[in-house]
Amino acid sequence: MSRSVWKGPFVDAYVLKKAEASRESGRNEVIKIWSRRSTILPQFVGLTFGVYNGHKHITVNVTEDMIGQKFGEYSPTRTYYGHAADKKAKRK
Amino acid sequence: MSDDLICVGSIGGAFGVKGDVRLKSFCAQPSDIADYSPLVTEDGRSFTLTLLGPVKNGYSARFSGVVTKEDADALSGEKLFARREQLPALPDDEYYHTDLEGLEVVDTGGVTLGHVKNVQNHGAGDLLEVHGPKLKTAVLLPFTLEAVPTVDLKAGRIITDPPHGLFE
Repeated sequence: MSRSVWKGPFVDAYVLKKAEASRESGRNEVIKIWSRRSTILPQFVGLTFGVYNGHKHITVNVTEDMIGQKFGEYSPTRTYYGHAADKKAKRK
Repeated sequence: MSDDLICVGSIGGAFGVKGDVRLKSFCAQPSDIADYSPLVTEDGRSFTLTLLGPVKNGYSARFSGVVTKEDADALSGEKLFARREQLPALPDDEYYHTDLEGLEVVDTGGVTLGHVKNVQNHGAGDLLEVHGPKLKTAVLLPFTLEAVPTVDLKAGRIITDPPHGLFE
């Protein structure tokens, strides 16, 4: 069952506060958060979060297409090392 | 094992009774494994590969010189390698994971921070997993122009300007 629209997206208050402080400071920094359940809001775009996965903080660069998802979706809790083979990484 | 060999797949075992094998591909696009033929095994044997069709968790394939089920069974568990020069050239700012792994990570001041152990992508862009003697846990460095302004494959190092607090 989906969340009622009148409530708006859920975000832990401290995440909003930290994001706002980081944006105001203008520094390029990793905002460490433990709230995997918080929704990614438009004002988070361009910020870098460290989302806790129970073990360490996974770096998450927020982009526009991530809006509406939860932070936890980008911070897997299980380790999987595949083979590199011919996989590519693109610097954006 | 030579550094310029890249593991691109493995053989699961025989498929059928005519010498075909069950093949598992590790490539980004699994069917691309056929483009890297001939492939070599760990003990240096070389095989030309023909993909026959998809099966559960991989492909059925025919290897040159493998004509009986017994031959195919003998290859069970073998890893298959392609040479680095067989991989196609990439455009600027695109790199093979295998090229990035092992690079030295240096900050803009010239201080060595560690080495790239692995490249990960959890849906929020590529991340370089950096391990170093001064780091308590692995650091995940975003692979962006801002955080990694220089990648020097010839010198075997990348220069990073990491976000504040990442390497603390």
